[in-house]
Amino acid sequence: MRGPRLLFVTGKGGVGKTTVAAALGQHAAEHGHRTLIVETASDGRLARLFGQHALAATPRRLRAGLNAVRVDARELVEEYFSRLLRIRLLSKRLLASNAFNTLTAAAPGITEFLLLQKLLDWIEPGFGRRRGYELIIVDGPGTGHALKLLRTPRALATMVPGGPLGKSARRLLALLGDHSRTQVLLVSLPDEMSVRETIETQQALEGDLALRVTRPVINRVFPHRFSAAEVQLIEQDGDLNGASLPPLLAAARFAIACRREAERHVGHLRRALGVSPIILRQLFTSDLHAADLEAFGRTLGRAVLEYEGAKETGTTHPSTSLSRAASRGSGQAKHVSRP
Amino acid sequence: MASIQGLFRKRLVICVGAGGVGKTTTAAALALAGALHARRTAVITVDPARRLKDALGLDGLSTQPQAVAIGSSAHFDALALDTKRTFDALIERFAPNPAVAARILANRLYQELSNELAGSAEYMAMEKLHELLHLRRYQVLIVDTPPSAHARDLLAAPNRLANLLASRAVSFLQTPAGLVGGSTSAIRRLTLSALLKALQRWTGLDLLHDLADFANAFEHMIEGFQRRAEEVSRLLRAPSTAFVLVTTPEPHTIETAISFHRELLDDGFPVAGIVANRVLAFPRLDETDGTAATWDAGLRAKLLRNYGELHQLSRRDRGALRRLQAETGAPLLAAVPAVSVAPTSLAGLERFARLLVPI
Repeated sequence: MRGPRLLFVTGKGGVGKTTVAAALGQHAAEHGHRTLIVETASDGRLARLFGQHALAATPRRLRAGLNAVRVDARELVEEYFSRLLRIRLLSKRLLASNAFNTLTAAAPGITEFLLLQKLLDWIEPGFGRRRGYELIIVDGPGTGHALKLLRTPRALATMVPGGPLGKSARRLLALLGDHSRTQVLLVSLPDEMSVRETIETQQALEGDLALRVTRPVINRVFPHRFSAAEVQLIEQDGDLNGASLPPLLAAARFAIACRREAERHVGHLRRALGVSPIILRQLFTSDLHAADLEAFGRTLGRAVLEYEGAKETGTTHPSTSLSRAASRGSGQAKHVSRP
Repeated sequence: MASIQGLFRKRLVICVGAGGVGKTTTAAALALAGALHARRTAVITVDPARRLKDALGLDGLSTQPQAVAIGSSAHFDALALDTKRTFDALIERFAPNPAVAARILANRLYQELSNELAGSAEYMAMEKLHELLHLRRYQVLIVDTPPSAHARDLLAAPNRLANLLASRAVSFLQTPAGLVGGSTSAIRRLTLSALLKALQRWTGLDLLHDLADFANAFEHMIEGFQRRAEEVSRLLRAPSTAFVLVTTPEPHTIETAISFHRELLDDGFPVAGIVANRVLAFPRLDETDGTAATWDAGLRAKLLRNYGELHQLSRRDRGALRRLQAETGAPLLAAVPAVSVAPTSLAGLERFARLLVPI
């Protein structure tokens, strides 16, 4: 992997952003790349995935080569202004509740800018640190907020052309706009709302903002189970449905319908964006097992991280057919069904 | 014993929960079921999926109630929420004269605020329901809410906006020059002025002017906002109001539901119970079941494996719902079985409604 890389993971709430960030981070670290995962939602799920309680405001080691940190908007603003004001106690009081809201209202984009500024610190090797991170994965906010975040440097560079602020804004702009360094990864579920949002977001990111977007991820895709002939057998008694259906058939019909629905949405996304989505399969266990995370990491790493001879691939990705991806998926099932 | 039909004896039913749990569908289905229970019902939806909107006959721009007929005998009203438009209308109503209204609408800060800040979507949902309740046209009003991570964001929005506008921070920004005088301590004044300088450095003077302009223009409206916020706040805690916690059995949404419930109780909002969507439930497998006995062994093995996996998921679902009930102590009003496809037609919505409410 060449140079530092910044990967923003975003998507609607609950689609599996944290899982994707964790799987990719773990995979990259195992391949020897110093990796940092930045958690922007402070629900502590990322830490729990790695058996820890919570993350801190400074990077903390999750396992060899893998660190994680959380950022909090309010803390960032407090830190910034107390540095400016130097009288910490007073500024703290001023920044409490309403005044804080007023400040952020008065300075749109301030929290976004401070967050990006942090990333810049972590990416570029600094004083007292031998080397920066090779890969920074941002477990980002939902799509709407992520767009706002990624728009900030440009807005700021226009608004404040000179001074230290303007300089920072331009550095950020250069980092985000460099397609070999920064990419955005969109995660969705195989449902209408989620896919529609992914399409709209990708268009905004690539068009308006000229950012590089990876192939999208579709999470929780039901595995392909039955051949066409088997489907016909299972569905032949059209009049049987609901409660009157024997359990085996009810379950089979449900799985077939879910698979059909998922394929429809995968197809929709593929046609709209002109690339094959990365498929992550539906899991059937109550917790995410280490083996599942590893399997997801392999699938994602192959598609996103481009370890050797990293090149601009643009939109000419080898098209993986959904059924191939899915049969790979079911091959992993023996790990998955481990209790 | 709480029942889901009990909701139709309330005036206001508010569906809350994480994004993507089927809140909008649940709200629409409750309205439909209410109509089938012979109640005059309306539903306010927020950002419905396009196909559900089509099913309801909403054209997306209309914030006026539209009748949705169920068969030939029943109907309910539906309307979609348009945050920006409602906010603008509010400004026009409260502003002392059209010139002030125009000034606010053109203000950059207002545009920022009305789109993103201060939970304006949440605020507007509350505003709209206030307006509709005052019409007294409906016996039951069902409200779908914007996806929020915290109940507080949603319900505190009316107060928050009013407070923000009335806050001292805004008033000092109205007249930055006035800082030099005043009765506050010297250190405090120094801090304020340093803060102001920092802000100016950040924003450039224009934005600061915008803010002062905005605050000045709003001064006349603060009282109206505060009064309205108080009314909405009272309304939400009234005995005739019921909150319904909508969730799916996934771990992520269960956690959100638990913290939502805690926040609702802490703030004194009446929670009627939980509606769980997309719950997997398959009947127990009978050893003597002869289904597919004549099919070849390979297919039968696949059927068994598939059943086993889904059964495992359904056990996970049951466990998650038990945990939710234990944590919240709230009754489970309905567990809607998973159907693989979200309802996209009125007929589909009616099927969903019949799974939700026994009719």
